[in-house]
Amino acid sequence: MRVLLVGMSHRTAPLDLRERLAAPDPLPALRKLVASEEVDEAVILSTCNRVEVVATTRSLDAARLRVRSFLRRELAECDLGPEVESSLYEHVDGDAMRHVLRVACSLDSMVLGEPQILGQTKDAYRGALEARAAGPVLGRLFQQAFATAKRVRAETRVAERPLSVARVAVDLAKRIFEGLADKRALLLGAGEMIEAAVEALRGAGLAHIAVANRTPERASELAARCGGTAHGLEELPRLLAEADLLLACIAAPQPLLGAAQVEAALRPRRGRPLFVIDLGVPRNVERAVERLDDVYLYDVDDLAAVAEANAAARHQERARAEAIVGEEKLRFDAWLAALRAVPTIRHLRERAERIRAAELERVAGPLALGEAEREAVEYLTRSLVNKLLHAPMTQLRRAAEREEGGAMLEVARLLFDLDADPDAVSEPPDREPSDDA
Amino acid sequence: MMAPLHQLGAALYLAAALLAWAGLALRSGRLERASVLVLAAGAAVHLAALASLHRADPPPPLTDPAAALSFMAWIGVLAFLALQRRARLAGLTVLVAPVAFVGAFAAALRAPAVSPAAFAGSGSWPHAHVLLASAGAALIGLSGLAGLLFLAEHRRLKSHRPLDAKLPLPSLEALDGVNRVALALGFPLLTLGVATGMLWVASERGTFWSGSVHEVWSTLAWGVCALLVAARFGAGQGSRQAAVAAVGGFAFLLFALIGVELLA
Repeated sequence: MRVLLVGMSHRTAPLDLRERLAAPDPLPALRKLVASEEVDEAVILSTCNRVEVVATTRSLDAARLRVRSFLRRELAECDLGPEVESSLYEHVDGDAMRHVLRVACSLDSMVLGEPQILGQTKDAYRGALEARAAGPVLGRLFQQAFATAKRVRAETRVAERPLSVARVAVDLAKRIFEGLADKRALLLGAGEMIEAAVEALRGAGLAHIAVANRTPERASELAARCGGTAHGLEELPRLLAEADLLLACIAAPQPLLGAAQVEAALRPRRGRPLFVIDLGVPRNVERAVERLDDVYLYDVDDLAAVAEANAAARHQERARAEAIVGEEKLRFDAWLAALRAVPTIRHLRERAERIRAAELERVAGPLALGEAEREAVEYLTRSLVNKLLHAPMTQLRRAAEREEGGAMLEVARLLFDLDADPDAVSEPPDREPSDDA
Repeated sequence: MMAPLHQLGAALYLAAALLAWAGLALRSGRLERASVLVLAAGAAVHLAALASLHRADPPPPLTDPAAALSFMAWIGVLAFLALQRRARLAGLTVLVAPVAFVGAFAAALRAPAVSPAAFAGSGSWPHAHVLLASAGAALIGLSGLAGLLFLAEHRRLKSHRPLDAKLPLPSLEALDGVNRVALALGFPLLTLGVATGMLWVASERGTFWSGSVHEVWSTLAWGVCALLVAARFGAGQGSRQAAVAAVGGFAFLLFALIGVELLA
């Protein structure tokens, strides 16, 4: 059994090519792929940053051609041409397994540690199950990938710190305020940037929002969207005195708020902090405001610098996450290797069962066993067989996980005569061979 | 009996401090919460240690500096435990637990050596004075510890190097709240402590003012605390200024109540 992964990602293909390959519903194509002889199991992971096919096969070369052809011609329901070949990468066996684990852990993502990829990987596996394209090997591989991602999140800080300006603002607000539910936010401006930031803050519980803008209509529109109240700029001094958070992003050549104006607003607040997020370029709030004791002013550059520091901190955690991936891959390798023992163990059990059943038939007739006696003898013989086989089967499984396990499996087949004709083994010797036999 | 119980209480406070610091290092809210539970267990054992004082024959007075420090630590922990039920304050254990450990450990080192005969005829004034003044000082101490953590976080935010949001530390708003509440409760208790101290002196010497070093420094410390309260609640002092004042005020109070005694 070989594992093959073929695909393209943001690292190898431009967006327009990835867009052409992205299939809104890849399941019909996936069903066709696993119906072909070359591929036993398959999962398609299709996101905005990657399209990958993970497959198991008994014939690697044939599967390689089949999957490449599938990506080029079938997934997008049109021929993408030969240029797609240069954007495809391929991983086999251990490398393919490691790649799946790394993708699920977001170690191969454009934004390291981003959380969406794990959900997308789960969706891809769920889709493959639905299409009956995923079997025991890919099932185990993807379950291992999900467990690895969980471990990486729990044991490293690779996904801990926020990277977007809006999320950084939310984290800062949480360091300043006990909660956002009872806080008042003043939005100075009504543009898209401010809306994105306020959405993140609303997600963290912010409820009381006032929007002040030069154009009252736009203030009303944004206020309606975020459940706030709309105001004109003339109300700014009063609104500022009431606000706990100020989000400013308004097009103006000069700062709209000076230090004196903010200081005047602070006076009646009796030490209540004011968190100012200035997203305006040029700035809407004078830099001198920063010197005021209870004001925490962050402009776009400050927020970006925090986001960059967070990204650097995430990258420092990469090595620990990679080590976890390595450990988990070894576990999967061991499980996959143990699969080699399955046919031998199955044969061994079948042969033992045949012998047991035949011997039981041989003695049950002459002894004229009643139903209760027969059940007792059935139980006895089955129990004997199970106990006798338990140790060799366990040892075979363990041996199969090791590199030299193949030899042990061969010896087992020889010792128990498992490659003989099944009918021929139904007549075992009646008694133990003696030395002189 | 007192020393072993004090030792156990001190050990639990130390364990709480280690758990709290481990929680901070590992960014584990679970460890932080565990540290609060261990701190509460330490406070229960500490109470038993303090109660055992009254079963001794004759009962040793609380006026011994080590015993007073131990009592202050216990009151401080109790106030913290009460406040942390209302706000996300578990992270403050990183400062409260080590200070409580020092207080309990000081008492565990030696039993009070002051002769009870020294207070014969003073009635209950000595104990009332020590209990009230220690409780007041403990609350002002808690205000100072909250101020210390506030200043550390404030500095990081102002320098645009904010602490990781996952760190289990209280927000600036919560720390400022502790500062305000502890000061509001602590100052009246301290005032009553100073008043009962004067009544104690009057019952012994027939005058409210004997001019002892302890009296002079305690009165100065009370004056400093009165200024803190006036600035905070009268003059609308800002959060950072209040934090600086709380740290300074507590340092002065600690010196006046303990440092002067030790240096004398």
